[in-house]
Amino acid sequence: MKKAYVTVGKSVTRLDARDKVRGVATYIVDMKFSGMLHGKVLYSKFPHARIVKIDTSRAKRLPGVKAVITGEDMPFLHGEALYDTPFLAVGKVRYMGEAVAAVAAVDEETAEEALDLIEVEYEELPAVFNPGDALKQGAPILHEKLGEYYHPPVITPVPGTNICNHTKIRKGDIEKGFKEADHIFEDTFTTQMTQHGTIEPHAAICMVTPDGKLTLWGNNDSPYRARREIAVALKIPLHRVRLVGAPYIGGNFGGKGGLKAEAIAIALAWNYRGRPIKIVNTREEEFTSTVVRHPTVITLKTGVKKDGTIVARQTTCLWDTGAYAEKGPTVSRMGGASSAGVYNIPHVSIDSYCVYTNNQISGALRGYSGPQTAWAYESQMDMIAERLGLDPVQMRLKCAYDNGSVHAGGQVLSDVTLKTCLNKVVEAMKWDKPSPLTPYRGRGVAFGERFIKTPFASSAFLKINEDGTVDLISSTSEVGQGGETTMCQIAAEELGVPLASVSKASPDTAYTPFDESTTSSRSTFHMGNAIRMAARDAKEQILQMAATQMKVPVKKLTIVDGNVQVVGKPETATPLGQVMRRRYGASGGVLGRGFYFPDGLAPEGEYFTFNCIFWMYCAQGAEVEVDPRTGKVTVLKMVAAHDVGTAINPKSCIEQIAGGVSFGIGFTFYEDLIRENGKTMNPSFLSYKMPTTMDMPPLDPYLVEPHCEQGPFGAKAVGEPSSVPTAPAIANAIANAIGVRITDLPITPDKILAALKNKT
Amino acid sequence: MVRKLRKFNYSRPGTVAEVVSLLKDYQEKASLLAGGTDLLVFMKLGGKNPKHVIDMKGITVLDHLSWTPADGLRIGCLTTLQSILRHPLIREHFPMLEQAAKALGHPQIRSRATVAGNICTASPSGDCAPSLLALDARVTVASPAGERTIPVREIFAGPFKTILAPTDVVTEIQVPALPPHSAGSYRWQPKITAVDETLVGVAAVVTLSDGGKTIKDVRIGLGSVAPTPMRAPRAEEFLRGKQITDSLFDEAAGIAAGESQPRTRAEYRREITRVLVEQALKEAVDRASRNGGNR
Amino acid sequence: MRTIKVTVNGESHQAEVPDHRTLLDFLRQDLELMGTKSGCETGDCGACTVLLNGKAVNSCLVLAAEADGKEVLTVEGLAYPNRELHPLQEAFVEHGAIQCGYCTSGMLLSAKALLDEIPRPTEEEVKEALAGNLCRCTGYYSIIKAVQAAAEKMNR
Ligand SMILES: Cc1cc2nc3c(=O)[nH]c(=O)nc-3n(C[C@H](O)[C@H](O)[C@H](O)COP(=O)(O)OP(=O)(O)OC[C@H]3O[C@@H](n4cnc5c(N)ncnc54)[C@H](O)[C@@H]3O)c2cc1C
Repeated sequence: MKKAYVTVGKSVTRLDARDKVRGVATYIVDMKFSGMLHGKVLYSKFPHARIVKIDTSRAKRLPGVKAVITGEDMPFLHGEALYDTPFLAVGKVRYMGEAVAAVAAVDEETAEEALDLIEVEYEELPAVFNPGDALKQGAPILHEKLGEYYHPPVITPVPGTNICNHTKIRKGDIEKGFKEADHIFEDTFTTQMTQHGTIEPHAAICMVTPDGKLTLWGNNDSPYRARREIAVALKIPLHRVRLVGAPYIGGNFGGKGGLKAEAIAIALAWNYRGRPIKIVNTREEEFTSTVVRHPTVITLKTGVKKDGTIVARQTTCLWDTGAYAEKGPTVSRMGGASSAGVYNIPHVSIDSYCVYTNNQISGALRGYSGPQTAWAYESQMDMIAERLGLDPVQMRLKCAYDNGSVHAGGQVLSDVTLKTCLNKVVEAMKWDKPSPLTPYRGRGVAFGERFIKTPFASSAFLKINEDGTVDLISSTSEVGQGGETTMCQIAAEELGVPLASVSKASPDTAYTPFDESTTSSRSTFHMGNAIRMAARDAKEQILQMAATQMKVPVKKLTIVDGNVQVVGKPETATPLGQVMRRRYGASGGVLGRGFYFPDGLAPEGEYFTFNCIFWMYCAQGAEVEVDPRTGKVTVLKMVAAHDVGTAINPKSCIEQIAGGVSFGIGFTFYEDLIRENGKTMNPSFLSYKMPTTMDMPPLDPYLVEPHCEQGPFGAKAVGEPSSVPTAPAIANAIANAIGVRITDLPITPDKILAALKNKT
Repeated sequence: MVRKLRKFNYSRPGTVAEVVSLLKDYQEKASLLAGGTDLLVFMKLGGKNPKHVIDMKGITVLDHLSWTPADGLRIGCLTTLQSILRHPLIREHFPMLEQAAKALGHPQIRSRATVAGNICTASPSGDCAPSLLALDARVTVASPAGERTIPVREIFAGPFKTILAPTDVVTEIQVPALPPHSAGSYRWQPKITAVDETLVGVAAVVTLSDGGKTIKDVRIGLGSVAPTPMRAPRAEEFLRGKQITDSLFDEAAGIAAGESQPRTRAEYRREITRVLVEQALKEAVDRASRNGGNR
Repeated sequence: MRTIKVTVNGESHQAEVPDHRTLLDFLRQDLELMGTKSGCETGDCGACTVLLNGKAVNSCLVLAAEADGKEVLTVEGLAYPNRELHPLQEAFVEHGAIQCGYCTSGMLLSAKALLDEIPRPTEEEVKEALAGNLCRCTGYYSIIKAVQAAAEKMNR
């Protein structure tokens, strides 16, 4: 039985909706300070080159220019997993999106003009653009000092090579497994480079005082994580660095973490102190110099029995992480863990290599490896089913994880809902009925899995104001996901106040308490738990006060709809504000504190463990029609069933699924950042194509809501898995429609037509 | 790299004569501004860097659209694609131009972009050119030397290049009225998403005879399959005078595809050219057979 | 530099602007109307959409000088003078047609241009009207529903 909640579980209106439709929601690009300067960046002309000389003297003399800096002025390394990244290139450049010099001037035009006056002399070095080549003997080495970079123990670079992480997982005995198999299938799947394409670009304003106190205003998704990165890089204590989040962030999807525009703003401000300096990326910079989704090459060698039982799977994953590691090492680590799929397989061997190339930097993009690995394991699942003459749904239901299954990474799983999700999808698609589909129409399904990064902490304060209203103080960023609303719903529910009396401002590391990140679909669960604890703590304090005032034992008191009352006696209802006033007069306040950290899942001090606090599961189905003359695919319908635990705000969850599917559609058909010798050929929305209103298929979204024991009000997560299974579901439907199997994304009409021709 | 616009002088003269005289003074240092949807993008990308930007939108008489049996269709050089869309005269006489308008950009672009600007940009994938080629349209050009008329098919000199001099102003586009039992069609496929540049654009104009059984005359315009928009003379020749059969259009489409010279995605583009030529011919014939044609 | 007179959201402004100033920068920098956003500067994303004499345009591809003597409507002026929110804004709120909000202003203005021209648009017409506005968050579903709901409400 589900408990009846007042605010939780309701599709309440987003708290930010009215400001956003009025155009008064403030983003970093809207912020300015008096005395503020504007920065611009000069980028490398080559994908790999030694910097021989940089002459900035002419630029410095341009009226209006305040500072011109190069990498020599900023001798520090930063990074998210591996501290391998200079703020601006030092000594050599490793990709064409790398900053070589930066200018701060009184306005953008002047800064741009100054860039033309900087002269750089390069000595070109041999470059490498795909991970396969980068692994070969004699390949150009990007990071000669790989062995010296600071990194946490879960990351295992291989010095002397381009491998910045090698994750190795062994379960059972792979050779024995292959011997037991009736058939062994080996297939390779590739994915392309895509980008987040948030409509709001990266931007930052940084000011450093002459004494070295640094303040950074920006749209970073995770202020605490960024603060740590900055402090470690600059070798200063945390309290000397303050990150202030803009009230709203215009989209994230994993792209706004780490130091992007921030790095340049920091470098300029570090060298030119006392004035705020603003950096706003152009769209081109978004595509060339921030972060992209890893292109991958994933090979699956799978041993199966005639009846479809999978006995062995060996995976080899190559992640093209570009010039610097960013989140690549952890993406490849967790991607490796998921690369064998969501199936009971006794013998598994996984080798996942994160490889430097002279491409732009790859990191997290909605799914954090999930879309790439699902593309491989869910495509191969249908290929195997077809080769064995089995129904792909039946084969999935037979092999998929259940409670008690052992994950490739070793965890004994619980809360597994794969089959529930798939059953929901096939029911909606009427899979059991003979296919009503005419020629050139087909249908397909796919599972999706996504880890939650573990173990990481979140904390929250709940400040009860003099009038009984509530300030929720938490470092979760509102990036568009609806976090502000969800978090306030959780606070209101636990405290017993109406949603309207709770507000949440954006993060500020000087005031809002620690939170690891607004990433990994983790906030509802982690921050939600912290908020619940903070609300309980605040409630206890309030009830203590009220108990004294009302002369009733604390145990008998509760808070309902903003009133303290004796349980079962609504007539005793006393508004929270009145309780506060009685105690403190016109002043005073109460602070509740909550701190959540999932204990016991990893050895002390270790993180990004394969033992996840939970895994997210989902299934999607697609119906398609292929035009045999043009190769164009029309997606007639998408069905998506996602296990979200209790939906704190069902409408928001559905929105996350809809948005995720649109990412999936873009990944499947359209998005492809094309490079030639390291130069990005389509760094604009004109030629890097994301789905428009006219491209989205009809969608049937379903929420699967098992109560999650450890989750706040039973909630799990929703943000990222929604773009994980879309591509393989569609590819499987296409194969079903026309007998053509595309294994390299994106699926273009050109490829389909060529494949159709080869078939006949 | 997209940048802030660099400095220039802006002027908005009120007559064509003033525009011509300014152009005479500034020569290639000036750029004409119509809708600006190409010009301002080129300037931000650094591809054009005019010292003078001459906005023609002060000359309101150049925003017009009219049709008479004698003169055919006349489109002023400030007429936007938005005005072409859903225009009753266009719908009645040249529905293919509404199709072309629909193919071009998106609403915000169409409310600024002009047909003349589309021709003057001379993008190989421009959406107006194939239809105007197939319709045998002409443009009127004003210049310091006086006014002249140039067939659209003579305008394109290469990708983003025309034969027009820096001092030439296109003032009007003229589309002759079609003979009886004629009609046209424009079919296109975007490059990737639904809102995208055109991968292949095909215009066909047919005149039927023999009670609709025979192709008396035909013109085919192809876009985005060669360095400039082009006609398909061999396919036209093949069709002229032929009786309409089940396989006729497919055969003609094959010939047209053979005439195309795409560079990137070449094989696929040729395939799509074939598909679209057939579709455009069929639709044109269909329209020409209905109501005695004349569309 | 030149002096331009522009009516923005019903209020007339006289301003000195450089010739190369775009309408987008004029609105954001000179008038400090920050509701109109910049997303690409090349007419591809629609975040900067405003109405210029009633027509939806990309303000990044219009010069401030070109707006001289014209009327501009931005998101800040969308609400009816005596009403809290325009029906489109209400519908976006009710249907949750907003996530990060960065594309929202442009979406609303494209939708307004549509409803001014076609009061009862079909779903296809709504999609066509919003085809120049990229949204990365929503997949557009709620946005399309919201525009249709607003149309219905306004026709009642
Ligand atoms: C987002 C976006 C999408 C687009 N999509 C498409 C598309 O799908 N299909 C397509 O074909 N185009 C497309 N375009 C390109 C552009 O919109 C069209 O080419 C448009 O028709 C240009 O007209 P304009 O009035 O804006 O020209 P402008 O930009 O004002 O001028 C273009 C060029 O022609 C010159 N010029 C303009 N008028 C005259 C004249 N009367 N006499 C002499 N020279 C003149 C100008 O000096 C300039 O060099 C797109 C553009 C953008 C920004």
